[in-house]
Amino acid sequence: MSYSEYHTYFPQESETDVVVVGAGPNGLIAAAYLTAAGLDVTVVERRYEIGGGLATEEILFPHHYANTHASYHYMVDYMPPITDFDLPGTGFRYHKPFGQVGGVFGDDYVYLGSALEDSRDYLARFGVDQADTFGNLATRFRKIVDGILAPATYLPPDAPVDLSIALGRTEIGEDMLHLSEQSALEIIDEYELRDSVKATLLYTACQWGISPRESGMGFLVPLLVDRGMQKAFIFGGSHRLASALARVILRQGGMIVDNAEVVQIETDGGRASGVLLEDGQRIHARKAVMSSLDPKSTFLRLLPAEAVPADVREASENWTWDKWSLLSVFYATKGKPTWRSNPDNGMIGLPDPFLTIFGFDGKDDVVSFLETIETGEIPKVAGHFTCETAFDKALSQRPGEHVSFFEMPAPYDFPWDEKGDTVAEEITSLLDANFEGFRDSILQVVVETPRTVEQRLPNMVRGSLKHGDYNPLQMGNLRPNPECSSSRTPVPGLYLCGASTFPGGMIIGGPGYIAAHMVCEDAPAKFPYEYPQHVQRYLDTYFPEGKS
Amino acid sequence: MAQAATAAGQATRSAADGERLPRKSVYDFVVVGGGPNGLGAAAYLSKWGFSVCMLEARPELGGGVENYEPVPGYSCDAHASFFYGGAAPAMDQLELGRYGFRLSLNSAGVSITPGGKFVSHNSASESSAQADPVAFMESLGAAPDDAKFYIEFMTNVQGRLQEFLRSIYWTPPYDHRWRVPKEELPETKIFKEIVPIWDDAFLDMSYWEFVDYMGLPDPVKCGSLIGAWGNGPHPYYKGMLIPAFGVGQLMSASNNSAPVGGMHSLAHALARCSLAHGARIFVNAPVTEVIVRDGRAVGVRVDDDSTLEEKTIWANKGVIFNNHVKNLPKLATSGAFTPDFVQRVDDLSLKGGSLWAANMLVSELPRFTVAPELNGPGKELTVMTLNMDTPMLTELMRDVQSFRTHPTELDHYGGLWFVNHGAHDDTRVRGGDGYVLYFNLQVPAPEDHRDGPEAVNRARDEIVDNVKTVMRSYAPNMTDDKYLGVWVNSPYDSSIRNMAFVGGQWMGMRESEDEWGKNKPLPELARYRTPVEGLYLCHQTSHPGGLCLIAVPYNLMHILQEDYPEMAATTPDWWYPSPWHITDEEGGTK
Repeated sequence: MSYSEYHTYFPQESETDVVVVGAGPNGLIAAAYLTAAGLDVTVVERRYEIGGGLATEEILFPHHYANTHASYHYMVDYMPPITDFDLPGTGFRYHKPFGQVGGVFGDDYVYLGSALEDSRDYLARFGVDQADTFGNLATRFRKIVDGILAPATYLPPDAPVDLSIALGRTEIGEDMLHLSEQSALEIIDEYELRDSVKATLLYTACQWGISPRESGMGFLVPLLVDRGMQKAFIFGGSHRLASALARVILRQGGMIVDNAEVVQIETDGGRASGVLLEDGQRIHARKAVMSSLDPKSTFLRLLPAEAVPADVREASENWTWDKWSLLSVFYATKGKPTWRSNPDNGMIGLPDPFLTIFGFDGKDDVVSFLETIETGEIPKVAGHFTCETAFDKALSQRPGEHVSFFEMPAPYDFPWDEKGDTVAEEITSLLDANFEGFRDSILQVVVETPRTVEQRLPNMVRGSLKHGDYNPLQMGNLRPNPECSSSRTPVPGLYLCGASTFPGGMIIGGPGYIAAHMVCEDAPAKFPYEYPQHVQRYLDTYFPEGKS
Repeated sequence: MAQAATAAGQATRSAADGERLPRKSVYDFVVVGGGPNGLGAAAYLSKWGFSVCMLEARPELGGGVENYEPVPGYSCDAHASFFYGGAAPAMDQLELGRYGFRLSLNSAGVSITPGGKFVSHNSASESSAQADPVAFMESLGAAPDDAKFYIEFMTNVQGRLQEFLRSIYWTPPYDHRWRVPKEELPETKIFKEIVPIWDDAFLDMSYWEFVDYMGLPDPVKCGSLIGAWGNGPHPYYKGMLIPAFGVGQLMSASNNSAPVGGMHSLAHALARCSLAHGARIFVNAPVTEVIVRDGRAVGVRVDDDSTLEEKTIWANKGVIFNNHVKNLPKLATSGAFTPDFVQRVDDLSLKGGSLWAANMLVSELPRFTVAPELNGPGKELTVMTLNMDTPMLTELMRDVQSFRTHPTELDHYGGLWFVNHGAHDDTRVRGGDGYVLYFNLQVPAPEDHRDGPEAVNRARDEIVDNVKTVMRSYAPNMTDDKYLGVWVNSPYDSSIRNMAFVGGQWMGMRESEDEWGKNKPLPELARYRTPVEGLYLCHQTSHPGGLCLIAVPYNLMHILQEDYPEMAATTPDWWYPSPWHITDEEGGTK
């Protein structure tokens, strides 16, 4: 007698209004809004766990959990789902640590906090002028983020011409336009700041995949630097954001299926009509299929060739992956890593910064390091460190035992199989040189290379954390291509909602939020919430006659 | 695919105008613990229409139904690995398939004896018991006549499988005060109809004796014994013939399958069913107190460090305790139980074997010299058992149960079995370079080990080496360099990772006549009620034990309907009770 003779399987054929491919943060956010709007939604996920980059897993098995991808949450102040949905009612909580970024460069220790005046106080050690200059930089960046970059994250992109006209309406808008032309290094070099401070800011701006001397990417600098000093962690781990959204989705009548890889986006008369799963089940979508995957997957692998227009096909073929990925080494240790004492730096007793940069000599070293990584070589070990359990006790099940990681930008095309362990060992030595008794305290080590990033999340091809490079040809209304950057695509019924679509990657929720708006417009269904106040203010200021 | 929520769910939806849901600290039922039984209770109760709050201490739901990915691309089990609940009413009552739960049917497996005999399982072999029983038995060296009883028995069982299994597992135990004789129990009545010849001696037999009675030769005999030991009653426990036999049949109700994606997908399906019906589920939310006032459970207190806004959650109707019975007196308000009850619970034995579980990443699969036809691409095997030999298994049992130690001699590694889930389920091996072999080995429960609770952990490397050596003796290609990584979850580790695995006991407690049915975990607790009103047990320390059967919650639902008569007015059309259930009123103990 077989199982199927007794019970109902997951149905071989089913129907829904919207199928969302991929249960990463964007897919979940889109589903949360669309179920609130009254649509039937099914989210389909390949892995055995939802969340994509929102992964908190017991990789230091047994007893210790780590955030295996996203550990730092930059946009908690601006992400609409955090305020629109009752996420706290699901137990979702976050916190921005007092100390945000630490930078160790030679004998200098740079300490930036979430409160500007704390950063300025500590920079005044290097001279009051440093505090003043930094204050100017920080307030300038804050205005740009608060007034423009953050709200623009949650609206469809504009053509450069339209954006120019819009931003030209204000001084900070003009400033943003001017800054966009520059490279990260140019922007930071305009300030009379100590080398170690510049190095800290430059690494903060570039660590996730920005080339320091690449022009045209300057607009990301205020965003990454300002938000880099406002990073939050999520209690219980990053995955809690995914499971909070999942609870909202299910309460609102949606469905999530995992261990279910989509092998085809089906079309009917050229219109996206549903998905075919690896085991042969079909889910028909009455209104929309939303893909959070990268453009090569969506347009070259999942869709039949005849459904994809030639220019979208070509743009997808030319899609470039991230410049670099990450090498992450996770440690379970007995006791919390503590800095070897340095009585001269006057920073004893301050709370640990959420992220500490070390291994670099200074600004030039950061530049040459990143540029070398881009070529596929690893010049040395340098990067950033966080002791996760210093902030979130929940990650370790054994009192007194801690979870930390050291991450560094790292190339995918590196002989990881042969040399990965050597590099990891060098990292351990670096940590042992900086932390008292570190090596002896190690209980377990797990090394995650760019290759394993790709193995855990096959969508992050070549370990691409952002599903595709940040360069001028792939940002703004070009991400992933001019016809698809506002989520709608030339294929009727098909929408994009992932990190490879405007505005981009990291945990920002923009693509999912924008896509949900588009699907609602077309369904039609009433989008369940007004724009957040920061978005409305941006629209009123820059697009008083409406956006095109 | 729209799931129309019940009234309870409707009332708690997020309103379209951004209205905040009110702080919620009162529910009909509070479920303490999010293991499969807690999830089952939450699903049943929320689908029935009650408001439910479930609180789980760990970072992730599921308890023993968990998967982890220590090696990229591989979903590894940490405990249970196969799905035994195919006959569960919950499958259709909770529509778990609808919430994404699917089964992946096994490919072939093999058992190999030290003498080089092997038996193929499932679909792969032509000489399996079902296809050609006579040839099968002859190949094992048994005279066909000896096997007649076994063959007829197996055939009869298949014909009434679901009914037989439900009579054992999916029926609330009878109250010990009714003094129902063993031969009147539903499981015995059906067994009598299935077995080719009934003998009253069966009532007191151990499974081991029954297997000898049937004349089963090795390796089938060894397989039967180890199946019982690992999943249920120890095969030499007297009077446990039917449950020991039943355990082996549970899997065949679902064609020996494992859930697609691993056991954790069961937790997800149960959680999604609960959430879709309005349940609230919180993780990282340890319950520090089950609040008892005037002999009644009225709610729970949650750890101050949890992220819940309200740390006291009130239960209008009842508290469902999905945790080990030994944690009950510890978590309940001081003085809730009388000292004799506390002592009785404390005295419950945690002896018996528990499972040491190791996931080993290997670069190639074992190539067994005994059966070349089993090796090669396209012939990947699911379950493999080595040293399938009763004398060797007996030595292992003596080591664990009598000498209270883990096996140190190679010929004591009897019935060493392991699984390659990737052979039948592609979702388990996404983007990986090798294969994961998941080993389970019986070792003493930590507090029973003669060298202390951490002895097995200290011996980790030695045990791993022994396992590899045994493997190499059957598959010489499995040299040390083929092993790329080993991750162990020992019973001691389990007890730290999950507070409900008290003493590291995978099954909660062993299953013997003293700890089964009307006696499990204690006679007065057998029907899930506790001395505290409104406080119910819902864990594998109650009947019918472990294995993620979604049986405890189903059985509990019968009892709740007796205690909450208002449920009669809202009985949903998907509910059906066990046909063998006897209410307290009918039994005379209301």
